[in-house]
Amino acid sequence: MVKKRLYLELENCIGCRSCLAACTQCGGHEQRNRNYVYDVNPLVNRQTMPLMCLHCVNPACARSCPAQAIQIHETGAVLSALVEKCIGCQNCTIACPYGIPKFDTEQNLMYKCDLCIDRTKDGIPPMCASVCPSNTLQWLTDEEIEAKQKQFNLDNGKWVTSMPYLEGETNVRVNLPGILQGVTKLF
Amino acid sequence: MQATNKMQMNSASTKKSTINDAFASKFAKSMFLTVLGIAVLMFIGTRMFTHIDLNLYGYMVGTIVFLGGFFYRFIAWGERPPTKIILKKGLKLVFSKRTAKTAVSHLAIYDFIKKRGFYRWMQHVLIGWGCILACLVTFPLVFSWMYFTMDDNGYYTVVVMGMDLLEIKADGIIAWFSYNALNISAIMVIAGVCMALYRRAKNMQARAEQKFIYDLMPLYLLLFISITGLLLTIQNVFLHGWMQPQMSLIHQFSVILTLIYLPFGKLAHIPFRPMSVLARNYREHYGEQNMKACKVCGDHFVSVEQSNDVIHVLGVNHIEFNMEDGFNLAELCLPCRRKYRISRFSGVPTHQVKVKEANQNARG
Ligand code: HEM
Ligand code: SF4
Ligand code: SF4
Repeated sequence: MVKKRLYLELENCIGCRSCLAACTQCGGHEQRNRNYVYDVNPLVNRQTMPLMCLHCVNPACARSCPAQAIQIHETGAVLSALVEKCIGCQNCTIACPYGIPKFDTEQNLMYKCDLCIDRTKDGIPPMCASVCPSNTLQWLTDEEIEAKQKQFNLDNGKWVTSMPYLEGETNVRVNLPGILQGVTKLF
Repeated sequence: MQATNKMQMNSASTKKSTINDAFASKFAKSMFLTVLGIAVLMFIGTRMFTHIDLNLYGYMVGTIVFLGGFFYRFIAWGERPPTKIILKKGLKLVFSKRTAKTAVSHLAIYDFIKKRGFYRWMQHVLIGWGCILACLVTFPLVFSWMYFTMDDNGYYTVVVMGMDLLEIKADGIIAWFSYNALNISAIMVIAGVCMALYRRAKNMQARAEQKFIYDLMPLYLLLFISITGLLLTIQNVFLHGWMQPQMSLIHQFSVILTLIYLPFGKLAHIPFRPMSVLARNYREHYGEQNMKACKVCGDHFVSVEQSNDVIHVLGVNHIEFNMEDGFNLAELCLPCRRKYRISRFSGVPTHQVKVKEANQNARG
């Protein structure tokens, strides 16, 4: 099985929030979405961007968890809290550099993106990437991501896939080709 | 983008010589003291070893092996920086007024599991309380902290820790519950485990992440214990004790196997869940003392203590999120932190725009 990654081209986002709806439908998600879509400059324009767990290589959330409730899957996915282990201290929500983990006070339980592990462990794309209509969220091999890099021909050194533009090395790759090239979006 | 990953050196604290120096490791010390404690309690409970039930010898050995695994696993775990902080600060607050209320809600009636669903709650009450009841009966018998003697008058004397606690009528209601406590607990556990197995077979939510060794094995082990235990009674009552010695060995084997598995698999949550009470105390206590105001919007979102502790723990792991804008990411409330990330992606100061985040819940 070829290893694929979640790849984000943030500026393609049209704000339809399909990814949020799809997230609720993943097995193990108990009908609740674990991702976000933000207005970039709400009083000025309609640009939106999705925000997901980037599945850090050295995840702050897991390092800060006193219960070892956040496990790292062999695929690199940083899993949601184990339901019998999470003691509800909320360290992980404070530790994550992107504010990703959500906390349910009543259930005393943290839940976060697990990259739809029951799908991605078998090579099936995560729900969000499966439904995204604007190619903001894609499920690609490393070669395909490299090809993107060539396609956008960013010789200004501004290929934002990971370090040093993020807080740390991540398994998810992020890109903003248009904004970095100074190209205006057509839609 | 300018996150720096600096090493944070912990200055070695000056060492005082303590009782700890007498042992090669914390492991040896905990093991020694616990076994010693059990031996002393046995000595008292058995009126100087005159009342040991050697049929239960296997359980005794099993318990000692379990303690080995338990200390091995939990000492390593307690040394992790975030665990250490909650343990230390939580234990200091353990005598606060809150503890009793939180402990009952978290450890006895599992309120929070009910919020995850009535079925899941019912299932856990049956399994959890079934097991606790069984342990409350079994272990005092194994270590002879409790036993029964009978005089000719039709009354049992219950002896607890070497003292005659009470006399009960051999065919009375208390006696009936005592004989049947283990049968009742077995039926509770079987019912609860069947509910769990059914849920794991039918419910896609439960199936998504389950693994055999982690999720199913503990259920089969509990089922194995309960069924062999019940069979013992059936053999006794209906089959005149046919094959009972053999079944008794199988039953002991199942209990010992489970005890050995316990510190390593899913059941490890049992000895360690009381931590949730410590964590709640920690959050409530420091939350009342001093709340952290978000460096962007000023909202109070966590205690100053916890924010600092998390920054410290991440530092020990060589993770540091100090931003050029003069704050650590752990000092921003969650919506501001997410907006700040968007602003770093887009170059637009999203976190400065005074508009509440759009609804992020797909179900409204
Ligand atoms: C100290 C008190 C205990 C607490 C606070 C506790 C807490 C929990 C929690 C939160 C879960 C997850 C339930 C869910 O979300 O569906 C769980 C699962 C479980 N607990 Fe406990 N537990 C305790 C004691 C016990 C005991 C004594 C047993 C008996 C062996 C036990 C056996 C189990 C089992 C087998 C599961 C897994 C159920 C499944 O497969 O779905 N627990 N526990
Ligand atoms: S982005 Fe946050 S939640 Fe996701 S792995 Fe990294 S620290 Fe954990
Ligand atoms: S809230 Fe749960 S998952 Fe998060 S750090 Fe605390 S124990 Fe771990």
